[in-house]
Amino acid sequence: MSPLHLSFYSAFIFSGLGLAFHRTHLVSALLCLESMMLSMFVGLSMWSIENQVSSFTMVPILMLTFSACEAGTGLAILVASTRTHGSDHLHNLNLLQC
Amino acid sequence: MTYLMFFLGVCFAVGVLGVASNPSPYYGVVGLVLASVAGCGWLLGLGVSFVALVLFMVYLGGMLVVFVYSVALAAEPFPGGLGDWRVIGCAVAFVAIVFGGLVFGGFMGAWKFGVSTVNNVGVFVVRSDFSGVSMFYSHGAGMFLVAGWGLLLTLFVVLELVRGLSRGAIRAV
Repeated sequence: MSPLHLSFYSAFIFSGLGLAFHRTHLVSALLCLESMMLSMFVGLSMWSIENQVSSFTMVPILMLTFSACEAGTGLAILVASTRTHGSDHLHNLNLLQC
Repeated sequence: MTYLMFFLGVCFAVGVLGVASNPSPYYGVVGLVLASVAGCGWLLGLGVSFVALVLFMVYLGGMLVVFVYSVALAAEPFPGGLGDWRVIGCAVAFVAIVFGGLVFGGFMGAWKFGVSTVNNVGVFVVRSDFSGVSMFYSHGAGMFLVAGWGLLLTLFVVLELVRGLSRGAIRAV
């Protein structure tokens, strides 16, 4: 594994771990989702560069489009839950708790 | 040049680590900005300047700006930044997990240096990333329309989620 591959691969794993072990804020989890998307963008761009397949360059742009949709929806959920619960603390989202 | 690319790769991973260690979101966004600037410089070093420009404008200038405004919802009196022992503990633990996995997997040749780039062959050629993305309008027209339709639907999804009053999706008051 070349160092650049290690870099975006470990960035993806860091963000996945940060999403799994989130602490207080919902927006921190959304930021970890964004950084997962960023590392995937860089990885897909490197695929098209290293294999010299120029038509694959549209795939990271497409992924950026769908990630923008996901980020907008996540932020709308953040705003809606902040309106309801008063803050975006994750321990307030406990309606399903037994 | 090789060491510059390696440095940008390290900056990228360190910036993402700054987000993933879950500090207060004010500081997490700084880490994400650093990571996206390093990723943009990385793509520039590899030669695909169009994709780097798209990353800068759409991701950094569009999505991250919206995120920076939205972290105003995460206001707290004493935001725990990178000096907080919980944040540093998270960062150290994540690095230990990743590099423990590397050592256990035998590094897999992570010390080989080699980067292939787009060739500079002069002015009267079409660059690979420009020609690739422009295929969105020719062979990729179906996916282009699907992506545009998805964006339009997302607009209405967001509208319904934040509408509030008596017809909103998540609303108790």
